[in-house]
Amino acid sequence: MNYLVELILKLAKVDRRWIFLIIGFVVIIPLIYPLALPIRPGKDSKEVYDFVEGLPDSSKVLLSCEYGPSTKPEIHPMVTSLLHHLFSLDRGHKVFVVCLWPDGQFMAEEALEEVAKKRFGLTYGEDYVMLGFRPGNEAVVKGIVSDLRKLYTIDARGTKIEDIPMMEGINRFEDFDFLFSGSAGYPGTTEWVQFAADPTSVPMSTGTTSIQVNEMMPYVLGGQIKGILAGMPGAAEYEELIGVKGIGTSGMDAQSVAHFVIVLFIFLGNLGYFIERKRSKKHQGS
Amino acid sequence: MLWKRQIPILIVSLIGFATLLGWFFDQPTFKSFVDDDATQWFDILAAFAIFLGGLNLLKLQTQKVLMKQKGWQYSLFAIGGLLFAIVAGFFVKGNPEVAWGAHVTSKGTLFKWMFNYMVSPMQATMFALLAFYVASASYRAFRIRNFEATLLLSSGIIIMIGRVPLGSYISSWFILYLLVLVGGIVVNTIFKNKQYTAIAVLSGIILVTVAGSSMGWPVDKPAVFYLPYLQEWIYRYPNSAGSRSIMIGIGLGIFGTSIRYILGIERSYIGE
Repeated sequence: MNYLVELILKLAKVDRRWIFLIIGFVVIIPLIYPLALPIRPGKDSKEVYDFVEGLPDSSKVLLSCEYGPSTKPEIHPMVTSLLHHLFSLDRGHKVFVVCLWPDGQFMAEEALEEVAKKRFGLTYGEDYVMLGFRPGNEAVVKGIVSDLRKLYTIDARGTKIEDIPMMEGINRFEDFDFLFSGSAGYPGTTEWVQFAADPTSVPMSTGTTSIQVNEMMPYVLGGQIKGILAGMPGAAEYEELIGVKGIGTSGMDAQSVAHFVIVLFIFLGNLGYFIERKRSKKHQGS
Repeated sequence: MLWKRQIPILIVSLIGFATLLGWFFDQPTFKSFVDDDATQWFDILAAFAIFLGGLNLLKLQTQKVLMKQKGWQYSLFAIGGLLFAIVAGFFVKGNPEVAWGAHVTSKGTLFKWMFNYMVSPMQATMFALLAFYVASASYRAFRIRNFEATLLLSSGIIIMIGRVPLGSYISSWFILYLLVLVGGIVVNTIFKNKQYTAIAVLSGIILVTVAGSSMGWPVDKPAVFYLPYLQEWIYRYPNSAGSRSIMIGIGLGIFGTSIRYILGIERSYIGE
């Protein structure tokens, strides 16, 4: 018994470099050898999926990319899955991409290249367009709401907006049928809700990092956002719903094991804490 | 003093009032100012702010190097990075077939190379390190010291396990057995009697086993003890209630601060 107690105490005080090593190990192994754990789509992911499914033919979808390489594993699978879903429906949906973050433009270009160009062979300017990044945070959102053409005179490739066929009839935010914001922080989903979707009643959905979900839930429950893809689990759930497994699904294996290991560490830490507390009480008593 | 103090305060007050009025009056001039002009002004100012930010960074980092302040070697990398980005953005495209402007995100350009092979891996590395720190910090800091800490720890664990696919394998009956054991600890703490504790634990185990056998041990029933459902409930209700109150508080704070700016009480922007 004493040996076990000493072992627990030892484990509870283990050097943090061992923790780093174990976490590294449990993250890498499932990425190399996927566990293929089943994904159960949640209510909020299903709401996004159902809303996209229910879009009328030839809908004009505004996609806003507000994330960078640091949050790419969480948000990028959502954006690629959404694009795949929109284009695979084959109902003539048009996708217009804007970016509130400079990094977002790189991410969006990558997603469009992978899905629109390689998977579906779609035409730039007719099926999708990259309007790109503009500085100004929420002022950009307000600018898009009032007069998009004042803010975007050319697209990200330098083509005049008037020369892009699919830009015909697009003058302001209200000309879009749906907005999806792939957001990792400020400016992002909150600004889209406050300055665009809510005042104009244009429906929107979002995909955010796990840490932002807390902030976004009141908007989802209030009906201001139609469903939310919450972090990497949300990305994996959307991949499951559209039937195209990607980095979101494989990432969930690693996250599953890592979460269990962290809980195990917390348990060990608390066990050691209680044993030590009992011992110190005994010492004080004697 | 007039140009440095009174005039800037007057500009802020006037613009603040005009913007505020635009939200309340359906007057075309005000509406056009708020919706178009003010946002256009902001966009132009924001574009200039990027240049100012770059110059400020260059000035501060150069000063650090020249004065050989602590960590000046890192400043060399900051200056080098900024200069490299300027060269890649304004002077060397790297791919003559691509137009200026589009070269920022086009294939085969120097700027794109910089993003793919320098910015992207560095940002990803920084963020990936978080997982290690979270693991280490939660191991050391998450302690059941009092009721609030226990509540935080329990909800944290439910979210962590319930959000991931492995969590859906944990039967609600397992959670019920765990709760019976926790109940035993509570009984023991209150009565400090081994017999009472044993009776409480044994009767709990029998009750759960009988209920489980009669229901056929479904993994997700009773739903209230199934972690994926439980975490969803935490997200949707207690969490949303807390988030809403924080948001209302922030809103009131913004309102108060804005009024202070408009009335000229808050003057930190002119260095006071």
